Amino acid sequence: MTCLLELSNISKSFASVRVLTGVNFDVRPGEVHALMGENGAGKSTMIKIVAGVLTPSGGEMRVNGEAVQFSSPKEANARGIATVYQEMLLFPDLTVAENIFLGHAPRGSVGHIDWRSMRAKARVLLDSLDSPDLDVDAVVGTLSVANRQRVEIAKALSQDARIVIMDEPTAALAETDAKRLLDIVRRLRDRGVGIIYVSHRMAEIFAIADRITVLRDGVMIGTRNRDEVDQPTLVSMMVGRDIAQLYPKAEVTLGDVLLETRDLCCNERVRNVSLSVRAGEIVGIAGLIGAGRTELALTMFGITPATAGEIRIGGEAVTIRSPREARDLGIAYIPEDRGRQGLVKAQTIRENIIHPILDRISRYFLVSLRKERSLAVQSIKQLSIRTWGADQIAGQLSGGNQQKVVVAKWLGTKPRILIMDEPTRGIDVGAKAEIYTLMGELARDGIAIIMISSELPEVLGMSDRIMVMNEGKLVAEIPRAEATLESVGAAMTHSARHQEIER
Amino acid sequence: MSHSPSQALRPMSSSALLKFIRAYGQETAVLLSLLVIVVVVSLINPNYLGPANINNMVAGNAYIAVAAIGMTMIILLGHIDVAIGALIGVLASIAGTLAVSGYPVWVCWLVPVLVGVFIEAVVGVLVAYARIPAIVVTLGVVSILKGGLITVTQGVWISNLPPEFLIAQFRLFGIPSPVYFMILLTIAAGVWMRYAPFGRAIYAVGGNVEAARTVGIRPERLTVGVFALHGMFAGIAAVLFGTQLQVIQSTVPNNLELTIITASVIGGVSIIGGRGTVYGSTLAAIFFSAVSSALVFLNISAYWLRAVLGVLILATVLADAMRRRQIH
Amino acid sequence: MLSRYVFRHETILALLLVLALALSANLSDRFFTVDNLLNQGRMLTEVGIIAIAMTFVIITGGIDLSVGSILGLSAITLGVVWKTLGVPLPLAMVVAVLAGAVCGAVNGVIIIKSRMPPMIATLGTLALYRGLAEGISQARSVRGYPEWFFVLGQGEFFGVPTQLWVFGLLVVVAAIILGYMTFGRVTYAVGANETAARFSGMNVDRAKLLIYTASGSMAALAAVIFVSRVSTTRSDMGMGIEMDAISAVVLGGTSIFGGRGTMIGTLLGILLIQTMKNGLTLAGVKGDGTIIVIGSILILTILISNLVNRKRD
Repeated sequence: MTCLLELSNISKSFASVRVLTGVNFDVRPGEVHALMGENGAGKSTMIKIVAGVLTPSGGEMRVNGEAVQFSSPKEANARGIATVYQEMLLFPDLTVAENIFLGHAPRGSVGHIDWRSMRAKARVLLDSLDSPDLDVDAVVGTLSVANRQRVEIAKALSQDARIVIMDEPTAALAETDAKRLLDIVRRLRDRGVGIIYVSHRMAEIFAIADRITVLRDGVMIGTRNRDEVDQPTLVSMMVGRDIAQLYPKAEVTLGDVLLETRDLCCNERVRNVSLSVRAGEIVGIAGLIGAGRTELALTMFGITPATAGEIRIGGEAVTIRSPREARDLGIAYIPEDRGRQGLVKAQTIRENIIHPILDRISRYFLVSLRKERSLAVQSIKQLSIRTWGADQIAGQLSGGNQQKVVVAKWLGTKPRILIMDEPTRGIDVGAKAEIYTLMGELARDGIAIIMISSELPEVLGMSDRIMVMNEGKLVAEIPRAEATLESVGAAMTHSARHQEIER
Repeated sequence: MSHSPSQALRPMSSSALLKFIRAYGQETAVLLSLLVIVVVVSLINPNYLGPANINNMVAGNAYIAVAAIGMTMIILLGHIDVAIGALIGVLASIAGTLAVSGYPVWVCWLVPVLVGVFIEAVVGVLVAYARIPAIVVTLGVVSILKGGLITVTQGVWISNLPPEFLIAQFRLFGIPSPVYFMILLTIAAGVWMRYAPFGRAIYAVGGNVEAARTVGIRPERLTVGVFALHGMFAGIAAVLFGTQLQVIQSTVPNNLELTIITASVIGGVSIIGGRGTVYGSTLAAIFFSAVSSALVFLNISAYWLRAVLGVLILATVLADAMRRRQIH
Repeated sequence: MLSRYVFRHETILALLLVLALALSANLSDRFFTVDNLLNQGRMLTEVGIIAIAMTFVIITGGIDLSVGSILGLSAITLGVVWKTLGVPLPLAMVVAVLAGAVCGAVNGVIIIKSRMPPMIATLGTLALYRGLAEGISQARSVRGYPEWFFVLGQGEFFGVPTQLWVFGLLVVVAAIILGYMTFGRVTYAVGANETAARFSGMNVDRAKLLIYTASGSMAALAAVIFVSRVSTTRSDMGMGIEMDAISAVVLGGTSIFGGRGTMIGTLLGILLIQTMKNGLTLAGVKGDGTIIVIGSILILTILISNLVNRKRD
């Protein structure tokens, strides 16, 4: 059987950094080939090469047996390759129909865009994707995430794609929508389309994939048929070492309750959350994207102050209306989006590190340059940030070292409670291990840590307790001993709504 | 973005009218405001709707409407051009100088348009390829053009213009030619932006550059093209402006560029790009002259005009900001 | 690396300035006379004062197009409050500056609350404030200020024009705030990454409000000096001065996208523009011909800076 797509010995380097080394990969007609790996394993680089966004530094790519070289996504499209991007490359102010057909709209007699036929074709496409409820004239910016995704898929199919790449398509979807999406994927497969499917959700992978390929640190670890592997094997292929070794969970005697919330609410996004964290404890919060985890953190940190409920710190009820007030109460927050929320990338390490404590290291509003420098130098040493000095621009550091700067910046506030939102997103395995070790040390020093993460192995490996959120609510609390991929995963995807109905 | 399944399943049925208003909300709002002003003022002073005044109102700002067509495209892309006022002045003077030098009128009309295309194309190259922000480039261009204009003309007005050159004073069926230019160019541009792939690409690039790249659009080339097109509209506007009177002054109305930008913004162009049409900007240009004329007919000092416009700009944009926040 | 880049841009500017000074001196022996230089100081003060505040505004990633109109409105306020309302002139001067501060604060509130792009918000208030100035004054000018009032715009202090002292003091204070104080750090952080600044516990809204208010106040101060210099008040005062101020700031190396810029750069930008204007005029170039050169220099400097910058990335 000829393969739709064949990658052999593909490599990619950025400047001097190797992100992919000798990857072999293929897709057959009518199969779903899952691509797995931790963040930073090279999945997105590989996808971008197939989609024509990046050109490989070495190796060969064949489509239908023919060697190809793409210099633009358009050329990949012409070869029948379409991509459903995770960040959804759509035009928010344009309609559904136009988003689907932009760049290859049906033309009329004088070369004009034939809106009538475009809308009709869009309708047919959406119907074939089992989405008759989606209005072709709706403006995309007003659609829900699930509907935007359908538009993305329709866009991919509008060009008669033979190969569809789906980059974490269910990452932001609730269970019903995710199920509906899997149905759509099956329909495509049955039509003979080859699908490259990237996902973190194990259950989903086992439900839909025919074959599974695992990448780690830019190297292909192996390709397996679905029936040949089980979840633990896949996880160890992805993580690459014994789990106990990567997650140095130290035994810490827990202290008093430092942070407690009672029926904490923030509009509709956080609903009646009651939790508590002790000194030295690491509480993991799991859930889907949009489950309200980050919103909960933002509420406790004062970015979006609580609309109801109570926060207690060291047993005392407090109100937190701004990050400054949170800081003064000993709360620090390492945000989810490092580049946007965590750092001023264009500034030096030194400048970044003192951002939260400008008032504390200045006198008569004059910044103490001496204290600034000594704090920066000390942080670089303490967290072993790899840099040529405190005056290096933060944006020039690797992801892992940038993350260490964010951590250093917040440790400078001397927090008692540390909220870490996706603390290892997009950083390499080495830096991850360092962050985990640091978390262990901080816990030993009596800091209470709340860790929000979408990487289940990480949550399982590091947490003393695991809270699961869904639709703004805490839906499960699982102690370390009882936590497994299945139990946490099931709680995550099981809609809170369903639970209520089942009860 | 919080998501609930019920939201996805809700059937979206809406009448054609509702759809139209949703798509052309700002344009409708400007049109209604225009009608309200016309009705109210003409009730107070019926002379407001006299044929002479209507001609004045519609024709007087036609060159602004024409220039605002190009400006709308520029803003749709997420750029800006603060040199448009100075450019119109320069191009009008070029036209006038050619006319008094005895060149055939078609040359006098065509050359400013070509010069406009050339200058704006250069601006486009600097913006798209050298990646200098449009406001910086055009700020520099303002100085160059203004200085150049006064240096060359020495501030002397160009008079003795041949009558066959004064195209803005031509009339057809009693209606001044600028009105035809305005209406035809607006409709042509509007249709082109709706039906031509190039026109749609403007919206795509303005809405999401990276996504536009993935569907095969080349944003840099498009930007240069749109600036060139904008230069063409500036040229036409300059000819209409320069031939309004028997003389061409070496100055343009103060803050002309801001009036043109304002027409685009009030007409519904989102300043961050991606949304809006040229119909709105033309209506807004007419609306401006209706307001300024209304002040006269209501016996209000014309010196309040700019304050009124300022309040209008703020109110429109505030309403837009509010509406958008409701969506999110 | 950032500081190195800034240093580099300012070096280019300083070299250009030296070149311009040398050329001007060569073209006319009247250039390097004390009288001429001090007189140039008088000329640049109003734009200079506005450019100081504009530097902060642009570093936060904003822009204030309404400063020229605020200048006009404050000038009219001064004239009307003094002449028409009969308020003592010193008090009227205070009222005028306060009026400018209020205008600036209104800008700030609109920008913060509506999240409208500053360019559009201040475009609206540009029209509004100028319109108020025109409406209040009805195009009548106010004259007949007492003699002592002209000290500010026409007088001298230790042989140096009074307003130049004011300008110098403001530059130094602004440079200290921007370079060494916490507020300066907040300003840069807001411009480079507003979200990160907020997440770091900075009060972003308060900083913006302060900066736009300062921008309005500086425009009003410039208005008082302007009126004192030309002995009259007119509603069209300061028209287009926003473009001169923005040009000087951008020429000085402040990024229009925010996050980058220095007070020294702005000062060099102002000096360079004024030197070229004066030098070319003395060399016989007609007044308006000089601005062609300024426009070209603006584009070229930014172009070169951009190219240098891109190569380093």
